[in-house]
Amino acid sequence: MNSTTLRRARRGAASLAAVVALIALPACGGDDGDSDNGSGGESKGSLTLSGQNFTEMQILAELYTQVLENEGYDVTQKLVDTRDIYMAQLTDNNVQVVPEYLSGIGDFLNKQANGDTAEPVTSNNVEETVAAVGALAETAGVTLLEPAEATDQNAYAVTKDFADEHSLSTLSDLGASGLPVKLAAAPDCKDRQDCGKGLQEVYGIDLTEILPLGFGSREGKDAATSGEVQLVQVATTDGALEDDGLVLLEDDKGLQPAQNLIPAVNTEWLADNEDAASALNALSAKLTTDKLADMNVAVDVDREKPTDVAQQFLEDEGLLG
Amino acid sequence: MSLAAGVLPHAVVAADPPCYSRAVNAWVCPEYVTRYAPELWDATVQHILLTVASVVLGFVLAVALALVARRRARLRSVLLGSTTLVYTIPSLAMFSLLAQATGLSATTVVIGLALYSLSILVRNVLAGLDGVPDEVVEAATGLGYGRVRLLLRIEAPLALPVVMAGLRVATVSTVALVTLGTIVAYGGLGNMLANGLDDSFKAQVLTTSVLCVVLAVVLDLLIVAFTRLVTPWTRGAAV
Repeated sequence: MNSTTLRRARRGAASLAAVVALIALPACGGDDGDSDNGSGGESKGSLTLSGQNFTEMQILAELYTQVLENEGYDVTQKLVDTRDIYMAQLTDNNVQVVPEYLSGIGDFLNKQANGDTAEPVTSNNVEETVAAVGALAETAGVTLLEPAEATDQNAYAVTKDFADEHSLSTLSDLGASGLPVKLAAAPDCKDRQDCGKGLQEVYGIDLTEILPLGFGSREGKDAATSGEVQLVQVATTDGALEDDGLVLLEDDKGLQPAQNLIPAVNTEWLADNEDAASALNALSAKLTTDKLADMNVAVDVDREKPTDVAQQFLEDEGLLG
Repeated sequence: MSLAAGVLPHAVVAADPPCYSRAVNAWVCPEYVTRYAPELWDATVQHILLTVASVVLGFVLAVALALVARRRARLRSVLLGSTTLVYTIPSLAMFSLLAQATGLSATTVVIGLALYSLSILVRNVLAGLDGVPDEVVEAATGLGYGRVRLLLRIEAPLALPVVMAGLRVATVSTVALVTLGTIVAYGGLGNMLANGLDDSFKAQVLTTSVLCVVLAVVLDLLIVAFTRLVTPWTRGAAV
């Protein structure tokens, strides 16, 4: 081999290294949540917002991002797969804001503080649950702001025809009817207080069989509309039920723990950023289960982008003033 | 529960829903690609940056480790064994553990993927150096080459084809593994792929998967072209 070749090899290696260095540097920057709403005034600082990465939380993350940006914050969104990944970051102040479910974060913090077999601190009562979970959160360095009316609980639906035929509007009605009922639900339903066990013991529903077709799944809903099952487990924020001819039976005895949407904020950061709290509380005050269900449909069924759906809601509610 | 249309009063309620809507949910959907072009572009750029940064870091580490271990038989087997062991750590555990130290950041993904790439790269760097004929090394030493000059001017060029072959495998495998970075919010196309799978969003799943494959092929071809450029003496032979 001759020296020209070697020089060329070295030059090639050097230019590759240069290119790599050039393009690798910006990799360290995060992707911002964009959707700049052109708010006036100077920046109040930057914050990182995390949460779980599925439709409803993407919408919530966009809602939070846009009201905070409107308030003058620079927001970076980092949605991850599971709660335990972002909770450590939230308590360490690497993440400042997370949209949460009241009993979801409550059960997590309770297990973390008191072990896997701890008595649950969550219940169907929103105020009591907020008080109990809020205390646990403070110990972990996290403050819970105001809960929204919107709540994403397990719920049970029947077809509209079935409800009309037997005049059912609540789960108590179904229990009182004495009808034999097949249920499509999550695989762990049978022994759970908020599922099979509670439906039988609290409501007296005669469950003859539980088909493990998954939580709010297409298969479960199809089983209900085809008459294979009478009752199907879904979410209260599932906006597509009406299209499938399904109606929810009211949880009139409060079987389900409160799963209201609630902002969880790092306490230390919050002390210097009260404006963020008031912006998020103003959002919570306007967020209802029906509106959240509508937004879920827009994203899940119409495949609108979460950022557009969130912006439309915030403009309609006058929250971007 | 009110009707779905209520939330977007200005949205055009077309007679034919777009091919990306759930009602149609087509695998191949040009409308999806047009509508999500900005998101797809950002994800692809992030994917490329994560891949390149991971492979470069892995390569630098692999060369350093291989040079330290090449003449010491025991160190060498420990090194090969431990890089293989690292490769068996499930990515979920790897990224979750690294996130404790480096947070939800690109760094977490780059470190994790660089560690994974070591199992391929260290092996190939060692194999490349082993492949340098003893008589060439002896001749160079006889000509008065010192250790550094021997490495840079004789051994490195001769080892290059084998090393680059390893780099190709590591790069292609890293393109695939980057998608798992979605665990800590930095997965390039993997973020959109995971969402698409969760929501049975077929157009998104297919589009992002195809982009991953295209990316792997393009990067592979770039490495092949680069190798041919810098090792003209191998032309005609298989790279």
